[in-house]
Amino acid sequence: MQRREVVFVDGVRTAFGRAGPQGMFWKTRADDMAVKVVRELLRRNPEIPPERIGDVIYAATAQVGDQGLTLGRDVALLAGLPQTVPGFAIDRMCAGALTAVTAGAGEIAYGAADIVLAGGVEHMGHHPMGDDVDFNPRFVAERLVDPTAVTMGSTAENLHDRFPQITKDDADAFAVRSQQRATAAWSNGVMRDTVVPMSVFTEDGWQIAERDEFLRPDTTLEALASLRTPFRAGGRVTAGNSAGLTDGATACFLAAEETAAELGLEPKMRLVGFAFAGVEPELMGIGPIPATKRVLERAGLTLDDVGLFELNEPFAVQVLTWCDGLGVDPEDARLNPYGGAIACGHPLAATGVRLMAQLAYGFGERPDVRYGLTGLCVGMGMGAALLWENHGARH
Amino acid sequence: MAPVTEFKLVRAGDFALVTIDNGEDWTKPTFFGEQALESLDRLLGELEGADYRAAVITGKPFFFAAGADITEFPDITRDRAIEGARAGHELFGRLRALPFPTVAAINGACLGGGVELALHCTARTVSTAVRHFAFPEVFLGLFPAWGGTQLLPRLVGPETAIKVIVSNPLRQNRMLTGSQVAELGIADRLLEPVEFVDESLVFASELAAQPLERPAPDWSEAETLFRRARTNVDDTVHGAAPAPYTALDLIEGAETWTVEEGYSRERDAIGELLPGPQAQASIYAFGLVEQRAKKHPARPTVTPVRVAKVGVVGAGLMARQIATLFLRRLELPIVIRDVKQQIVDEALADIRAEVDGQVAKGRYDEGKGRFLASLVSGRTDYEGFADCDLVLEAVFEELELKKQVFAELEEVVGDECVLATNTSALSITDMAADLRHPERVVGMHFFNPVALMPLLEVVRAADTNDVALATVWDIGEKLRKRPILVNDAPGFVVNRILTRMTRVIMDAVEHGTPVDEVDEAVMSLGMPMAPSVLLQMVGPRVANHVLERMHDAFPERFPLSPALAALADGGEPVIVDDSPRTREQIVEDVLDAVADEIHLLLEEGVVAEAADVDQGLLLGAGWPFFLGGITKHLDQTGRSERLFGTTFAGMHTGAPV
Repeated sequence: MQRREVVFVDGVRTAFGRAGPQGMFWKTRADDMAVKVVRELLRRNPEIPPERIGDVIYAATAQVGDQGLTLGRDVALLAGLPQTVPGFAIDRMCAGALTAVTAGAGEIAYGAADIVLAGGVEHMGHHPMGDDVDFNPRFVAERLVDPTAVTMGSTAENLHDRFPQITKDDADAFAVRSQQRATAAWSNGVMRDTVVPMSVFTEDGWQIAERDEFLRPDTTLEALASLRTPFRAGGRVTAGNSAGLTDGATACFLAAEETAAELGLEPKMRLVGFAFAGVEPELMGIGPIPATKRVLERAGLTLDDVGLFELNEPFAVQVLTWCDGLGVDPEDARLNPYGGAIACGHPLAATGVRLMAQLAYGFGERPDVRYGLTGLCVGMGMGAALLWENHGARH
Repeated sequence: MAPVTEFKLVRAGDFALVTIDNGEDWTKPTFFGEQALESLDRLLGELEGADYRAAVITGKPFFFAAGADITEFPDITRDRAIEGARAGHELFGRLRALPFPTVAAINGACLGGGVELALHCTARTVSTAVRHFAFPEVFLGLFPAWGGTQLLPRLVGPETAIKVIVSNPLRQNRMLTGSQVAELGIADRLLEPVEFVDESLVFASELAAQPLERPAPDWSEAETLFRRARTNVDDTVHGAAPAPYTALDLIEGAETWTVEEGYSRERDAIGELLPGPQAQASIYAFGLVEQRAKKHPARPTVTPVRVAKVGVVGAGLMARQIATLFLRRLELPIVIRDVKQQIVDEALADIRAEVDGQVAKGRYDEGKGRFLASLVSGRTDYEGFADCDLVLEAVFEELELKKQVFAELEEVVGDECVLATNTSALSITDMAADLRHPERVVGMHFFNPVALMPLLEVVRAADTNDVALATVWDIGEKLRKRPILVNDAPGFVVNRILTRMTRVIMDAVEHGTPVDEVDEAVMSLGMPMAPSVLLQMVGPRVANHVLERMHDAFPERFPLSPALAALADGGEPVIVDDSPRTREQIVEDVLDAVADEIHLLLEEGVVAEAADVDQGLLLGAGWPFFLGGITKHLDQTGRSERLFGTTFAGMHTGAPV
C-alpha cells in the first residue's frame, strides 16, 4: 500500500491561563477546556462530517483526575461526537500534542483513518508537575540520571553551565523580544485566528478567558534583571525568562491529502517528516538540536530551506542553545515571529498544536516560505521536531 | 449561616456578564434574601450608567436562582410582606427598564423569584439540562409576587400563565424542563449546556442588533379559560386555600392593568396571604418534608445490615407492589414465597410485566430489563431464603398467621437477617414474642400505592434493636421513602388517625347524614379526596378490618361501625338514628377527634413530636400543605390550646401535657 500524504487542516487553542487559584481556569475542568476547542474546531470546519473522524488523540502529561479517563474518548463523547468515533490518550510530556499529531499522521498515512482530531490539554493548576508521580528510587540510587533532571528549571540552569557563552543577559533579551513579538501578534490576526474565547466560572462569577495571562507588553530588560532566580542562588533562570506554569488546551484536524481534496478542505500545511531524539536527561533542553538535524537530513533539506521556526520557549536559554547548536541568530525574524511560551505560557502536553497553528498562520502570511519547523524539548531528555511544507502556497 | 447570594458583574467586550452566585456548589441553592437584593441594587446602579450593548445574567454552574428566601417567611407581618414585594418590584422594574437588552441565561434550577428575575429581562435562553423550572408559590400557599403574575401572561398569554402559576403547583408541584420552557415560549432559545454561557452571549449580541418579535398574547378565550381554571381549583382545594384563586385573579387582571397597577395588586394580595394561616402552614409543611424529613432527628446512627438479597413472604397485591419497588430501587435478588404456586406465578408475571412496561417506556434498555426480571424468583417453600439479609412479610392480616411465618423463617434465615412486617394494625411486639430473636423484628409499613406514597412508618416493637431499625430505615431511604419512627402501637400513626376520622364520619352517616353532605364537609377542610371515594379505594373490607383491630385496642374511641360493617359485606350503610349532622358539626367532630388522637399518640410516646404526625399525614395520606399536615392548623385555630391547654408545637413525648 502506498503511504498517504498527511495535511494539517486547522488548529485552535484556548487562551492560556496562569496555573493556580489566581488563574482564570482554576474552577474549570481540563476536559471541559479540551471540549471547548474541539467544538470550536468542528464549528470552524463544517465540511468535515464528524462521523468521518477516524480517531481522537488527546495528550496530557498528568493522566488523572479531570485529565484521566482516556481523554481522547472522554473528550469525544463530551464534545458530542458520534459514539462511533474512537479516541485515546497519549503522553510524551511537553511533546504530548506533537506526538498526538505524529501518531494521528501514522494512522492516516497507513490508511487506518482519513481524518484525525489531535490535541493536548494540561491544567497545571490542578496537576502540578510530578504531583502524582512515584519516582523510581533507582534513578538516584544507581545514578541513572542526575537528580537535577526532574526539575525543569534546574535543567535550564545546567544549560547555562554547559554553554557558558549564553548569558543571563542574552536570555533576558530574548524574553523581552518574545513579549514584544507576542504583543504585536495580539494586535494582528494570529491570535484572533487561533485563540478561542471561552466562558469560565471564577470567584468573580462567569468571565471570558480570551487573553493569555502571561502576556506582559511592558516587559523591560531592567525589570527582568531584578527578578529572583528560584532554582539556585546566583542562577540565571527567572520567572521572566521562562514560561510560567500554565493551564491550556489545543486541538487540530489532520487529514489525508486526498480526503481533504474530497471534502473541499483548504489544508494549510503538509507534514514532510518528523523526528524524536534522546539526550542527557539533565540537559533536556538540547533535545531539539539532534531532532532538527535528523528531520532535515532525512528530508534532504538544510536549515536554509526552512523559512519559519515555531519553537517552544520553556526557557529562553533553551531556545538559545538550539540557535547556538544550529547556527541561527536568536534575533532571526524566522524564529518565533509571534513570540513564544515566555509570553503565552506552556501548558505542557498542549503546546505542540499551538506551535502548528501559529506556523500554519505564518505560512498563510508568507506564501514565499516553503518549509517550516515546529519543535520542542521534552522532560527526561528528549527533543522533537516536525517539518512542514506550506500547502497553501503550492510550491 | 446561609451563604449570601451576590450579583457579580464582569465586562465581556461590549457586554455585561452577570453571575448570580452564593459561592457554593449547586447543592446550595442561590436564594434572594435581603442581602442579595442589596447586591442587586448595587449591580443595577452599575448597569444603569454604563454603555453596554447588552447584559447576560446567568447562574453559578448548574443553578440559576431559587427565588425568595423562604426562611424569612415564618411569622412575617403584613407590612413586612408588602415591603418585601415592593423591594422586588422596584429592583426588577429597574432591571426591566435598563437602556440595553438583557438576557436571562437559565442554566439550571430556576424557581419562583428566579423565574421572575428572568421574566423582567428582555429575553431568555434556557439550557436543555434544566430540570427544575417552576413557580412553586401556589404549592406553598402563596403566589409569585415579584411581578410573576403580571409578566408571564403578558409574555405567553393567560393559558400558559395559568398552567405554570396555578395548575402545575397544584399537581404535586410539577416542574418544567428546559425544552418545555422553550416550547411554551417562556424562553426564546433552547441551547445545549456544553457551551451555554458562550452561546447565550452570542444570542445577546444578536438581540442587541435585532430586537425579537413575539406574537401578541391571545386573550380571546380568557373568559372560558379562567372559568375552567377556577372549577379545577375548586376540585382540588374546595375553596379551603385562597392562594390559587388570588393568583388567578391577578393573572386575569394583567389583561387590562398596567404593570405598575399589577405590581400594586400583587403587594396588596401578598400582604393578606403571606402572614395568613394557609401560607404559614404550607411553609411549615414544606420545611417538614423537604428539610426535616431528609435529615430526620430519629434517623438511627448505628451501621445497618448490608442487604444483598431480600425475601418477601406473601404474594398478594401489596406484596407485589413492595417487591416491585425493591427490585427497581435496590436491583437486588428478590425471592417471593406464597402458599399457592398459582399466586406466586401471577405475582412474578405482574412484577415482570411492570419491568417490561418500564422498558417499553424507554426507562430501561432491554438488557437492563432482562437483568431486573432475572433477579426475581418465587416458590411455595422457603428455599432461597437462607441467604436473605432482609425478609418482609406481607401475608394476610392475622396475628397467628404472621407469627407462624416468622417462626418458619427463623428456622431458615441466618442470625443477622432482619425480619420486617408490613402489618398495618397488628401488634409487632406480639408478633415477635415467641421468637428466639425477637430483637430483629421491626415494622416497615408502606402506604398505598406503594410506588407513589413517600411515607414509610418504621416501627420499633418492644424488643427491636437499633440494627434492625437502622436497616429498614436505610433501605427505606434507598427506596426513596421518607421514614418516621413509630413505637409499636395499634394502627401506628397514620391509620390510627385516619380510622378515628373514619369512625366520626361513619357516625354521621349512621345518624342519617347523606353521604354527599359528609363528603362536602370533609372536603371543605381541604382534604384531597371525598371520604366515600377514599373508602372505595381502600376497600370497605380492609377499612372495617382495621377498625376492628383498633376497636380491640381502644373500644371506647373506636366503636364498631354497623354502617361500615354493612358496606364491608357489600350492602348499603345502616342508619341507626335519624338525626343528621350539619356540615359544621361534622367538621368540628372530625377536628376534635383527630386532635384528641394526636394528643394521645404524643402522650403514649408513639411518636416523639407532632412534626412526625404531620409528616405522616402529608406523605402517607396526602393531606394538604395548607393545613400543615394538621397540627399546624389545629394550633393556628386555637383548637389544641382550647382542648389541651397547649399547642402541638409545644408538646413532646414524655412532657407533661
